[in-house]
Amino acid sequence: MKPLTGFNLVRPRTLQGALTLMATLEKTQPIAGGTDLIPLYREVQCEKTNLIDLSLINELNGITESLNCIVIGSTTTHTQILSNNLVAKHVSALHDSCSVLGSVQIRNRGTIGGNICNASPAADTAPPLLVHNAEVNISNQNNNRWIPLEELFKGPKLTVLQPDELLLKIKIPIDSDSASAFKRLGRRKGFTLSIVNAAAFVKREEGLIQNIRLSIGSVAPTPLRIKKVEEEFLGIEMSKRVLDEIGQACSDQVKPIDDIRGTAEYRRDMSNILIKRALNEAWRRTGGIIE
Amino acid sequence: MIFELNGKNVSFEAIPSLTLLDLLRNEFGLTSVKKGCDQGECGACTVLLDGMPVNSCLILSPQVEGKRVTTIDGLSENPLMIELRDAFMENGAVQCGFCTPGMLLSSYSLLRDNRNPTEEEVKMAIEGNICRCTGYVKIIEAVLDAAVRIGPD
Ligand SMILES: Cc1cc2nc3c(=O)[nH]c(=O)nc-3n(C[C@H](O)[C@H](O)[C@H](O)COP(=O)(O)OP(=O)(O)OC[C@H]3O[C@@H](n4cnc5c(N)ncnc54)[C@H](O)[C@@H]3O)c2cc1C
Ligand code: FES
Ligand code: FES
Repeated sequence: MKPLTGFNLVRPRTLQGALTLMATLEKTQPIAGGTDLIPLYREVQCEKTNLIDLSLINELNGITESLNCIVIGSTTTHTQILSNNLVAKHVSALHDSCSVLGSVQIRNRGTIGGNICNASPAADTAPPLLVHNAEVNISNQNNNRWIPLEELFKGPKLTVLQPDELLLKIKIPIDSDSASAFKRLGRRKGFTLSIVNAAAFVKREEGLIQNIRLSIGSVAPTPLRIKKVEEEFLGIEMSKRVLDEIGQACSDQVKPIDDIRGTAEYRRDMSNILIKRALNEAWRRTGGIIE
Repeated sequence: MIFELNGKNVSFEAIPSLTLLDLLRNEFGLTSVKKGCDQGECGACTVLLDGMPVNSCLILSPQVEGKRVTTIDGLSENPLMIELRDAFMENGAVQCGFCTPGMLLSSYSLLRDNRNPTEEEVKMAIEGNICRCTGYVKIIEAVLDAAVRIGPD
């Protein structure tokens, strides 16, 4: 196996220290759990990268509740999220996604910040965070800003983060009368990225869809919110037929490609099925039944 | 740099390009930690880091400074590990043995925290460990058998 090459490792203990390093060192790249990054350094790099290890920075780790929001630090691991009651109760789609992501070993190291900053169209925490209207806090040495998660993704493996910026935390509004769910399809649990994944968020008023948000991953260059369909079905009475229509409408909106994990046609069909499964489960979690 | 390896403090030269896997095998001679894929997929290199299963091929050696690393060698006298080992042998859960150290550590971590797991929980716990020989059924049986042997406490 090829040895790792092409980097130095710096391990700051404070956020300020990390941001200073990001601003002053040449060619930096943050590393959190390293589960996406370390395998990449088996390919020979031309220029040496300074890897800034975020794992010693306490300020970036953990889950708190503040002002009716759940705030998750960027280096919080999937295992930490999985064992958090606030997330299980209010952000069930995220809980679902962390329970199927990778393997125990990957969940023990991999972080939520790494999952979204890696910007894979297949990132499993992205659809849940998108349907919960998550915002992300981004900072460099001098400026700190919040943006909707949707605006973070620019393309496959591309984000709007500047070379000196870090993602510090993720904020998810708590909406007590709602429910959400996540479903995915991977060739084999534990070892592949999702072929398609989907999350749904709903609020139910009797049988009516009071609010609905849908997201599908791995069917476009970035994880997608399917807003056109959301708007179309707002206020509609839920039924088996409506569920089928939503599934169909979503698969008409996606732009999948062929790759080694699946063909475009298969992905389109699966986005129909997975969004229906996710929505059905979310609806069930609100206490509703689809007839 | 110093870390705790199988209950003893050890010091090592921190080379970032050396993974924990290579450090354990090459510098400390712990060849029970296997190198399969070297990219997080197979679980042959599983060790416990502060008690939790991780892929040692995805950890840079300086990152274990001050931490506790456990391989099966450090658990050879551990009552739970002894039961698991016996159960693996008696249930035919070992063929070539390449996956076994990693399987044992993942199963150990499960049973340590959950003495009475369901079959589904066993499957989840060893999802990150690939076995090319046994077809998993006997491994799952062995873990469930070990759970029975250790009893509720
Ligand atoms: C065997 C295996 C199975 C996997 N299975 C899945 C799966 O099922 N689903 C899935 O979605 N993913 C999967 N992954 C991918 C990966 O484990 C996850 O994406 C994980 O969450 C990445 O987090 P990390 O902390 O390890 O990221 P790292 O590797 O540390 O970083 C990933 C990227 O994000 C950047 N970054 C990290 N933190 C920050 C920050 N705070 N600010 C700015 N940039 C940052 C890094 O510079 C890098 O570009 C798998 C990986 C492996 C090896
Ligand atoms: S060698 Fe580490 S997971 Fe395969
Ligand atoms: S016994 Fe051969 S890989 Fe599992």
